Amino acid sequence: MSNAPAEELQTQEIDLTAANQVIDKFLTLPGNLMPVLQGIQEEYGYVPKPTIDLVAERLNVYPSQIYGVLTFYAQFHLKPRGKFIIRVCVGTACHVQGAERIVETFFDKLHIGHAETTPDLRFTFEKVACLGACGMAPLAMVNDDTFGKMTVQKVEEIVADYGQRPMK
Amino acid sequence: MVNLTIDDKKVTVPKDATIYDAAKSAGIRIPILCHDKKLHPFGGCRMCLVEVEQMKGRLIPACTTPVTEGMIVKTTTPEIINARKLVLELLLLKHPVDCPVCDAAGDCDLQNLTYEYKVNTNQFTDEKFNHKIDYENPLIERDMNRCIHCGKCARICDEIVSFGAYTFINRGIEAKMGTEFDGPLNCEFCGSCVSVCPVGALVSRPFKFKARWWSLNKVKSVCSYCGTGCQLTLGVKGNKVLTTVYDENQGFHNGQLCTRGRFGYQFVNSDKRLSTPLVRKNGRLEPATWDEALAAVAEGLKSAGSDAVAGLVSPRLTNEELYLARKLFKDVLGSNNLDHSAGYAHSALSHGAMESLGFAASPSTVTDIQKSDLLLVVKTDAYETHPVLGFEINLGVKRKGVDLRVISDKKGKLSRLPKAKTYVYKPGNEILLVNALAKVIVDNNLTDPSAMGVAGLEEYNKSLEGYSPAQAAEVCGIAAEEIIGLATDYAKADKALILLPLGLGYPGHDKALAQALINLALVAGKIGKEGSGVLIMGEKNNSQGAVDMGVYPAGNGKGATDIIASCAAGATKALYVVGENPVVSYPNRKKVADALDKVGFLVVQDLFLTETAEKAHVVLPACSFAEKDGTFTSVGRMVQRVRKAIKPIGASRSDFDILNELSSRLGGASFADSSQVFVEIAREVAGYNGLTYDKLGDEGALVPVAVKGRFVPVAASPVKAEAGKYALVTGSALYHCGTMSRFGQGPMHVCPEGYAEFSREDAAVLKIQDNDLVKLTSAGAEINLKAKVNMRMPKGVVFAPYHFGEESINNITDGSPVTWVAVSK
Repeated sequence: MSNAPAEELQTQEIDLTAANQVIDKFLTLPGNLMPVLQGIQEEYGYVPKPTIDLVAERLNVYPSQIYGVLTFYAQFHLKPRGKFIIRVCVGTACHVQGAERIVETFFDKLHIGHAETTPDLRFTFEKVACLGACGMAPLAMVNDDTFGKMTVQKVEEIVADYGQRPMK
Repeated sequence: MVNLTIDDKKVTVPKDATIYDAAKSAGIRIPILCHDKKLHPFGGCRMCLVEVEQMKGRLIPACTTPVTEGMIVKTTTPEIINARKLVLELLLLKHPVDCPVCDAAGDCDLQNLTYEYKVNTNQFTDEKFNHKIDYENPLIERDMNRCIHCGKCARICDEIVSFGAYTFINRGIEAKMGTEFDGPLNCEFCGSCVSVCPVGALVSRPFKFKARWWSLNKVKSVCSYCGTGCQLTLGVKGNKVLTTVYDENQGFHNGQLCTRGRFGYQFVNSDKRLSTPLVRKNGRLEPATWDEALAAVAEGLKSAGSDAVAGLVSPRLTNEELYLARKLFKDVLGSNNLDHSAGYAHSALSHGAMESLGFAASPSTVTDIQKSDLLLVVKTDAYETHPVLGFEINLGVKRKGVDLRVISDKKGKLSRLPKAKTYVYKPGNEILLVNALAKVIVDNNLTDPSAMGVAGLEEYNKSLEGYSPAQAAEVCGIAAEEIIGLATDYAKADKALILLPLGLGYPGHDKALAQALINLALVAGKIGKEGSGVLIMGEKNNSQGAVDMGVYPAGNGKGATDIIASCAAGATKALYVVGENPVVSYPNRKKVADALDKVGFLVVQDLFLTETAEKAHVVLPACSFAEKDGTFTSVGRMVQRVRKAIKPIGASRSDFDILNELSSRLGGASFADSSQVFVEIAREVAGYNGLTYDKLGDEGALVPVAVKGRFVPVAASPVKAEAGKYALVTGSALYHCGTMSRFGQGPMHVCPEGYAEFSREDAAVLKIQDNDLVKLTSAGAEINLKAKVNMRMPKGVVFAPYHFGEESINNITDGSPVTWVAVSK
């Protein structure tokens, strides 16, 4: 599935002021690459490419190594993420409770796959291994809101509800 | 020292040795895939697992485990063999085993170990990788499906090359060696990664499908590009040099090469090579026989008379050929009008070091770089002119903690090394800055006691009046405290080495600058100690040899500049150019071209029909370094053997043969072969005494020097900026060396044409972007070059490399260190 608009957004001009401020904050800290990248992701919601070049230049780290760190840790994202991050557990307990049907229904409703973002940057969908609430299986989360005992019906309600919330 | 037992053998090794090192020193081979003697231990592949009596219960990786006293090690038990087989099975699970079409076959560690451990079945099954192969660049093919994740490419690129193109990307089974954003490779293309890749994941594209590795004849020789003196092994088949073969045991550099050494050999078998002599008839160069051509040359040179004959001979020739050329001019033609490298590119050695130290060579050697405490590099270009010496600097800084200080007119790769400090001065003011550094040392009582006994100290101290840090600060644009700090650190460092690159692109790096630097080193007591001194880096493969053989004017002889001028004036009637291409590489192209048009008889001896050869009356086709025997002398005064790998191409003849025959046609001495000339060199040339080809062997021999230093004051006045103009400084591009690299496929693929580099600030004002065509104008002449915009250039400074024939930079330069140019789009 295509993420074209999200990629277009990536090539747009990125204001590096915030990234520079993050770097300024950690500049003299030994081992500052992780906090800098985390700070940048906090500011932009993901780690835009121009900020990688900036970090490489200012911290004197190879861009390749920064990319290695970013792809090693699951916490970092290289593409813009949706306002609402939907996470559906596919761990053992949720799996036996039919999590796969919940996942499929989200795919159908949102027209995106795993780890993808809707073109309007509203939703990002992720399958995750365990959310630590197996008693509520099958489980889904939207940002910090938890939805237990998920059903296909509930999926539609969630998509409709978050689909009309304001983006700002 | 630590004592241990390996396979019942008693071994004694230093305490920082690993089990692998200890076994190796005892002649016991432990198989490895990810280990490399040049790199930090990694311990990734588990091929080197051994059993240690004291650490029973698990197998121990030999390459990362330090030895301890009394250790009892077994390297081949059934358990170990099974473990190694398992490692190989797991690697072969994903490896495509496409050996029949893999260029690494025969030279592949995985293939060899699979054979050795007889892994003909696999207890596992899995799908192969399906990674996209990177064909984006013309030199290095990256097939990550073959990769075994040893990480050597990433480590060598970081630890030695300091470029950092590769890293492990992603995680778990998806992990692979990749680049930034998993994009195509875009680097210096030195090919170090290719050389250490244990499998065929990284292969040389110019060599792809050219020959099986085992069918190559491997001939040891010396690289014929820059003066570093890297040894290399040519892979030869069917009278063709098909590749360079990596040998980790060659030279001080452990077989490391740069892009031109590794990928620039194609000039040898280029189809543009001259294959027959040419003689000008009715205004056109027509093919001729050797007899006809040589008769014409002998007659032309002789009839001009000793005062009106001159020679420009390239320092790319062997010592034996240069010696013959000198002999031909001095003894046979009776002329001292012989020079090379436009005169200025060797004057730091031939005149600067000669006057200041008593010999025309560097007092230091290449191996001093890593032994030093502080390196003072003149211009970041030292990396571009001599990339493998750049690797030595990288290693010194990163491994040995050498303090790197660069005084430069721009930033560069060296500026990015850890803790490196770059002092960017306004172009052309290097001598003034060096004098100011010396002034700080003298004024702060940092003069080394050893300087008290050196002749001329008092006069030198007096000459430094007017170079106070404050005065220099204003001229150079570096704060006075910085100058004081640098001078103090330099003086106080126990061992400090100055590096000065030379070259046709660096008219300011001449006698005066060399002497200013030698003065500085003398006053700080840095000459004559290991890891200290001054390393004057001659540009070409045999720049040091050309000076040693005396290929520069003696007595009343004319130097290169005077020779060109006297050609224009008609005083020089016959000019013999061997391997030089003054039209492109000497300053002021128009003046040079006009002079060569005027000279009555012009002979050019070269591999190619160069811009200079096109003007000749007779063109003699010469041989490349791969077609001849002889010696080159490198930057660090190392005399090394060049060996004939192939027969001469076409009807070409070696410079040795040509010079030898001309000499005998003109009634001079002739020699049977180059070894006979070397016997005479060993007798006649200081420092070469007692050397023979046998003594040189594979290692080479160091020419000894005895320092008799004296201070030679050097005056400098501030370079005056021209209002509204940009300071153009010239130099070498990383991928090129002289004008010969234009015939190397590698260098030309990566850097095919000239360019002009601008700072971001200037680019913003001029409204230029990368690849925009810009016009540089100076003294009525103009050239159009593609722009490169980057962070390394300071405001107001433009850099352009000199190697290229089209739109050559010497159209607008006149041999001064800085050319003031107007820039327009």
